[in-house]
Amino acid sequence: MLDAFSRAVVSADAKGAPIGTEDLANLRKYVADANKRIDATLAITQNVSCIAADAVAGMVCENTGMTQPGGNCYPTRRMAACLRDGEIILRYVSYALLAGDSSVLDDRCLNGLKETYQALGVPLSNAIRAVEIMKIATVAIMTETNTGRKMFEGINSGSGAQCKEIAAEAASYFDRVITALS
Amino acid sequence: MKSAVTTVLTVADAASRFPSISDIEAVKGSLDRASARMEAAEKLAAGIDKVTTDAVDAVYGKGSYEQTNKDKCARDIHHYLRLINYCLVTGGTGPLDEWGIAGMREVIRVQLLPTAAYVEAFTHIRDRVCVPRDMSPQAAAEFKSLLDYLINALA
Repeated sequence: MLDAFSRAVVSADAKGAPIGTEDLANLRKYVADANKRIDATLAITQNVSCIAADAVAGMVCENTGMTQPGGNCYPTRRMAACLRDGEIILRYVSYALLAGDSSVLDDRCLNGLKETYQALGVPLSNAIRAVEIMKIATVAIMTETNTGRKMFEGINSGSGAQCKEIAAEAASYFDRVITALS
Repeated sequence: MKSAVTTVLTVADAASRFPSISDIEAVKGSLDRASARMEAAEKLAAGIDKVTTDAVDAVYGKGSYEQTNKDKCARDIHHYLRLINYCLVTGGTGPLDEWGIAGMREVIRVQLLPTAAYVEAFTHIRDRVCVPRDMSPQAAAEFKSLLDYLINALA
């Protein structure tokens, strides 16, 4: 597992050179934005079940056959598995976001996920749709552009508008999930 | 690769839970020291060749030695300093542990090299760090603690 810092180390080691001023500029930005990053991570961790449940509910609403006998979310045991998977994906996205690097998401969540879903008969298009809804919801909560009340309390009292860049990074991690499943 | 953030995430993942407030506080605590560490890394990267030459000259003194031996010694010291530079960036001893110390004893013994020379070189580097000429006090403290870590592993 790598984070923004160890990623810089691994690529510098490949060149056999020490990490100098140029490479440090990116890392200094990571440190400068750390408070926003922490707030953005909290925006996920404080709304896990809401984001996952909304995404799965949205997916089912668009394909009502899924909860009927013969559907992939019937009976409730399989719907529950679906909710659980949504939370697991969110968890790895939150790790990647805190680390500032996607390796933890790639290695521990996405590697082999598509094959597993295919073997289990999970329809990939529906899984992708659920991830898309999670992405939209997460970005909206982070940037405080959701309708209704503010949905997270940051420890740095930062406002959501300042989290835009980090929210874009979070969206890129959801995109990785979608690419992995496509 | 062990670093401040990955250590926290490994523990969280083993318990399959989201990053908690205490995890986040731990990350934040390590990032508070990051600017001092990065300053040390930057200064070390800029002066790595000079520091290496200086240490080799101090170890070999005035006697006449084969230049190839000196060059190999310089190469090794440069290598360890580069790993210390990486450790300063990650905020943990991961790079030194994984790429410098693991298996080091066996390799050095099989080549019949004296570790005392390396210890002397790194002690010389540690004692020569001058505050504030070379770097700030916090940066020097981070740098010296990693040099001590390496010296202990070599001793």
